[in-house]
Amino acid sequence: MSSSTVEYAVRRNPEMGPHGKPVASPTEPFDAPEPELGSQTMLVNVGPQHPATHGVLRLVVELDGETVVSVVPRLGYLHSSFEKLGEYRTWNQIVTLTDRMDYLAPLIYNCAYVMAVEKLMGIEVTERCKVARVICMEMDRIFSHLLWLGTWSIDVGAFTPFLYAFQQREKVYTLHEALTGARITTSSTRIGGMMADLPEGWTKGVREFADNLPATLDEIDGLLTCNAIHVGRTQGIGAISAEEAVNHGLTGANLRASGVPYDVRKDRPYYDYGSYDFEVPIGCHGDCYDRYLVRMEEMRQSVRILHQALDRLPDGPMDVEDPRISLPSKTDCMSDMESMIHHFKLITEGIPAPAEDCWFSVEGSKGELGMYVVGDGGPKPVRWRIRPPSFVNLSAIPKLSEGHLMADLIMINASLDIVLGEIDR
Amino acid sequence: MTSDLGSGGSAPDFGLVAAGGRKGHDPAPDTAEAGNVPPVNPSVTALRRQFPDGVLRNRVCAGDQDVVHIDSGRVAEILRWLHETPDQHYDHLADVTAVDHGGGRPIEVVYQLWSIPQRSALRVKCELPLDALEIESVTGIWQGANWLEREVYDLFGVHFRGHPDLRRILMPENYAEGHPLRKDFPLRGRFSRAEQTRRALTQDPEDYYMPGEIGERTPQVVASGADDGDEAKASGAGAGGEGEADVL
Amino acid sequence: MGVANPGLPGAGTPAFLTTRLDFVVNWARRNSLWPMPFGTACCAIEMMASAASNFDLARFGMERMSFSPRQADVLICAGRVPYKLAPVLRRIWDQMMQPKWCISMGACASSGGVFDVYSMVQGIDTIVPVDVYIPGCPPRPEGLIYGLMMVQEKIRGESLADHAALRAEDPLGAGRPRAGDEEVADLTGPFGNSTDQNRVSGLVETGAIGRPEDRLP
Repeated sequence: MSSSTVEYAVRRNPEMGPHGKPVASPTEPFDAPEPELGSQTMLVNVGPQHPATHGVLRLVVELDGETVVSVVPRLGYLHSSFEKLGEYRTWNQIVTLTDRMDYLAPLIYNCAYVMAVEKLMGIEVTERCKVARVICMEMDRIFSHLLWLGTWSIDVGAFTPFLYAFQQREKVYTLHEALTGARITTSSTRIGGMMADLPEGWTKGVREFADNLPATLDEIDGLLTCNAIHVGRTQGIGAISAEEAVNHGLTGANLRASGVPYDVRKDRPYYDYGSYDFEVPIGCHGDCYDRYLVRMEEMRQSVRILHQALDRLPDGPMDVEDPRISLPSKTDCMSDMESMIHHFKLITEGIPAPAEDCWFSVEGSKGELGMYVVGDGGPKPVRWRIRPPSFVNLSAIPKLSEGHLMADLIMINASLDIVLGEIDR
Repeated sequence: MTSDLGSGGSAPDFGLVAAGGRKGHDPAPDTAEAGNVPPVNPSVTALRRQFPDGVLRNRVCAGDQDVVHIDSGRVAEILRWLHETPDQHYDHLADVTAVDHGGGRPIEVVYQLWSIPQRSALRVKCELPLDALEIESVTGIWQGANWLEREVYDLFGVHFRGHPDLRRILMPENYAEGHPLRKDFPLRGRFSRAEQTRRALTQDPEDYYMPGEIGERTPQVVASGADDGDEAKASGAGAGGEGEADVL
Repeated sequence: MGVANPGLPGAGTPAFLTTRLDFVVNWARRNSLWPMPFGTACCAIEMMASAASNFDLARFGMERMSFSPRQADVLICAGRVPYKLAPVLRRIWDQMMQPKWCISMGACASSGGVFDVYSMVQGIDTIVPVDVYIPGCPPRPEGLIYGLMMVQEKIRGESLADHAALRAEDPLGAGRPRAGDEEVADLTGPFGNSTDQNRVSGLVETGAIGRPEDRLP
């Protein structure tokens, strides 16, 4: 077959030169009109089983090239119906459910729930219990932020901070285990007190952890804060203004990164938080980088609170001395008929709560964690509602990620610090 | 239940000293007295002055928490006033939820407000009878209400008029058993476990995939005879880890 | 093979060659198990802890967490599985290549745990076949490692001669429940007093079990 030369007006690689290899197939003629770009968008499904969604979150993303046009989050892949189950459990039994909701900061959830119920029942816990709960909550704030830091650094492409963070987390696991017997699902609080008094030497362990943590934070700080890749991937990404952040209901570090100094510990102090010396870090750009900075600083502030709380931990009883709420001691139950009946009645019948409702919120690790409990005079709640901070924070993700790149969406999602157990409940 | 514990119990000292002089365990008289307790929050008085017929009653719960019951027909108007009046400035909508008290009683929709500049909290409630579960959406005032209202719709079946995207959010969109947080909904669901398992697996993970459905109220119903063994489908979005793409 | 010979072992009896081959294949398989971490809730955090420094799953040939099911050997279902997630779990199991194994980590994945409620799968064995159940809420990392070692033990006992029985899959079973209706009913029956509880708060009585007339035939 004779080959005839066909002149194609083709685009050539300019580096190829005029005597380069002939182009095997024509790409497109010069004078053809430019195809209309940008007329088609592409749908990409992320999740529900994806390592970068931090759980079983599903994001349906509409892409124009690599730019995010819209994001539709899909929830409910971990809906475990905590609130319905709570209506079938007595007030104390629900404590077990709370830590399975946010398994990243279980003690905060334990404490927030019982604080709401105690407020509903009008119980004032002992001083020792207050300080012990403050220690628990601040320890778990660090615990949760460390996991966020680890996964955040994996998302940005760094693996080392994850290992450093998990080394510190293992220490908190050990402290959890010493306090409650479980590593994650602590269930350590009871209405009117704690499951047990603090074990011997536990405060020493907490102090040791609080002493050692800043060194690790400095190390991770050195790896990430001024790292060019980290800065380039997070600065100016997912920014939101203060007014919009408030309007979207953002709370916690996500709101404070936008410059709104709303922290429940300062604005509605519970457990004498007003008397602790700590600061609330505020960002000014509201982007991913500021959220990172705010959380890093929050951990350092929590260390400060931990030291102060450990210093002021008073002696005395842990549980309120009210036979309608607190169980008699095990020794009494075994030797004394009256105490045994008392124990039996408390366990089988539960503690009645007034026919009222009560809203109580604490500053959780993810934001404002509200508990809304409605009683009807019986030992079980009519309604137990959790105001899930990461649920509301996540609802801003379509707004945050519009116009950014697909890879930035992963960072924005990581910067919100979500936990699916609590979003879906 | 309360008196059982008191009379049958063995420990002699049952006099509970409640915080702030409030009797912690006396539900009945509390309700009657509640009308006489002066509100803690000055917004309640202002609200009563502004909307004399919109505010039905108010009470103080759990010691210091103000609860205002308002007319469900005027919820958007009243909440907008609370949001926009400079003296009130309730800019943070902490929560929207509902309570079903059971026994055919009306469902309460509860708004939990917080003013960041004024540092004051207010709880606003509306009662909706079971045969008219419809209320105005507040997404126009607080965008954060969007998902919260969707959740109330999903779990209680309350319709929010004017909501931009009112679909189920936690349960599957073709969930046929009802609204789970209603009191007449059994804990384990209405169908048998086998039926629930079968229904769950006939859903295709790729359904509900298009953003185009936004704004439509009707969920896509999965054809029950969908051939899930289809190899072309099986390479679809289930794993998601490989970044499935689908051109519109 | 297959030829009846009174002097030699009969068909199906492992001969010297197949047992040696089995040994080599099983040795390779059990020391390079790539897990597919299907983590949903609390157990996933313990799974992450197992992979991190202190416990270090890499010691057992599991250096690489395979987030794509197509390169994975063992599915670790860690955490509770709601019905909404069930088709996803089944899809991932269908996408995995043979040979594959499945670990059900934790009480919720194995039996529903405390969540005997309307939205939760009561044990993933109604959906996919499970090789090892790890009890605990959540299991400690040592528990997960022990479970993975049990999978390794199980592989040690497998033989290529049983391939059809062990590894054959029915393509029609893809995307369908593993168990039939009656077996699902058996597996998911209420236990303890989980459903005997009802609200005793002075409200209307609501039975925990659905009204029979509401059930589909």
